[in-house]
Amino acid sequence: MAELTEHQVELIDAYIKENGVAQHALQEDLLDHLCTSIEHRIQQGESFEEAFHYTLNLFGPGGLKQVQTETFKLLTEMNAIMKKVTFGFGLTSTFLLLAGTIFKLMHWPGANIMVLLGTAILVLFYLPMILTHKVKESPRDEALLHILGFLGLAATTVGVLFKVLHWPGAAVMLIGGMSILAFGYVPVYFYKRYQTSANRSVTLSSFMIALACLILIFALMKTGNSIYYEHGVMVSNENLTQQTRQLSELNAGLYDRSSVENLAELRTESDQLVNHLESLKNELIAWAAQTDPLQLAVSDLYEMEKKHNMAIPHDLLLGPDDAPNNGRFSANELKNMFDHYRTAVLQQYPPDLRPLMEANLGLRTDGSFTDAKGQPQSWVLHQFENTPLFTVITNITNWQLEIRQMENQVLLSTISRPEVSDPPR
Amino acid sequence: MHKSLIPNSFMYHCPMYSQELLKGTLQTIVLSLLAENERMYGYEITQHVKDKTAGEIQLTEGALYPTLHKLEADGFLTTEKVSIGKRVRKYYRLTENGNKQANDKVSEFRRFSETMNALLNSFNPNPELQWLS
Repeated sequence: MAELTEHQVELIDAYIKENGVAQHALQEDLLDHLCTSIEHRIQQGESFEEAFHYTLNLFGPGGLKQVQTETFKLLTEMNAIMKKVTFGFGLTSTFLLLAGTIFKLMHWPGANIMVLLGTAILVLFYLPMILTHKVKESPRDEALLHILGFLGLAATTVGVLFKVLHWPGAAVMLIGGMSILAFGYVPVYFYKRYQTSANRSVTLSSFMIALACLILIFALMKTGNSIYYEHGVMVSNENLTQQTRQLSELNAGLYDRSSVENLAELRTESDQLVNHLESLKNELIAWAAQTDPLQLAVSDLYEMEKKHNMAIPHDLLLGPDDAPNNGRFSANELKNMFDHYRTAVLQQYPPDLRPLMEANLGLRTDGSFTDAKGQPQSWVLHQFENTPLFTVITNITNWQLEIRQMENQVLLSTISRPEVSDPPR
Repeated sequence: MHKSLIPNSFMYHCPMYSQELLKGTLQTIVLSLLAENERMYGYEITQHVKDKTAGEIQLTEGALYPTLHKLEADGFLTTEKVSIGKRVRKYYRLTENGNKQANDKVSEFRRFSETMNALLNSFNPNPELQWLS
């Protein structure tokens, strides 16, 4: 039988590889097949070229590459159970994430656990199953692409979860995940597509669009309020703090007057409430900075990423998921303290003055409040729901000032009424 | 024959039979051939089928190699390599499981074909010819 020369075998081998057959076992099979077939035809009197083209034509449409595609398809056909399990995981995690998001928006209990479970199933089961399938299905040189896609998607998903649950490290994971997608997966994917694409300009522009979308999402993450607005709120807080400090000193001086000896109880109560509010501020900042309370000053808050966070005041004062919060810093407890303090201050005024004073004293927690959409709201929710952290801090300083003002009014009115030796109880 | 003129059914066998009819029989053909002959290489299998069926069924290489690799991955076949000059020839051989599978597939197809015969026996596609006779 006619045997092909080494050079001819090399030629056929190169042709197989050039035509997109990447799998080694298949390369060997095809090489031997083509060579044997060509040898047979040469035996029957054909030239090498004729035999070569005749044999190639037998491979039908798509040629050699189609053999490889067919092989991958057969080898990676998921069996029915695998298909169902994968689909089940995908469906469960999607459902949990969707329900969790809706629950979170409606502030119903159980939102966090649903989001956590949904993400866990997605990242630990569904995505790895899809990844193994994809890696098996495609030629070896595309494995890196799928691994990049998996890593980027997994990191982004976990980053979103951490962001929603206010766990540390969310920003790092989000930025990492999106960077892998934007600078790894998308370019590699489109490079592969570009190489085999018939219409290269279309492929190029879809690459640009995909990249632009990712960058826009990226930019959206970084949008905050204008720095001037933030500076304004900070100035307000500074001013309020400054006035509170001055009034405290003024009040301390007034307590030295002999005529106000019997106001010792008011002094204790005022100091306690102001100090409680100070601890509340420290606690909020500590939550935002993930450190122990008292390690940071209020002014540090304005340097922090989390100053716009609305969940930290919500969770500390109202409780996560609106579960009733009976802790030291609960909003309801704060309301009771305000009401109690207000009553105590009113007692210091003569009965005929009380109605007028009651209507105009600070720290009012009654009355009608409406939310951002105009719906009626309780005082507690009005103050702490959907209120950014740095606004809450400024409001707390304002309450401290109100306390000092109320204290000051009592002191001044007592001093200006020396004939009243025994204030009504 | 020009490439683009080759119909899709050519992917599997010769266009003599419809694609739907032959699609499920490829594994059976390969397994039964290997059961008869201890070891065969790819080209040998295509030639064997062609000779045995007088050209009525022609395995195309586009379908043969994916099937061989699938059967190997499923553990029904093993390969041994023999080098011929610059290239390697891969011989396929049935494993123990493959032998069982070959018997199962062949007897399954026999039963199917008997059932089909029984079912179609009474059916005459040309009633006019019946009247003529």
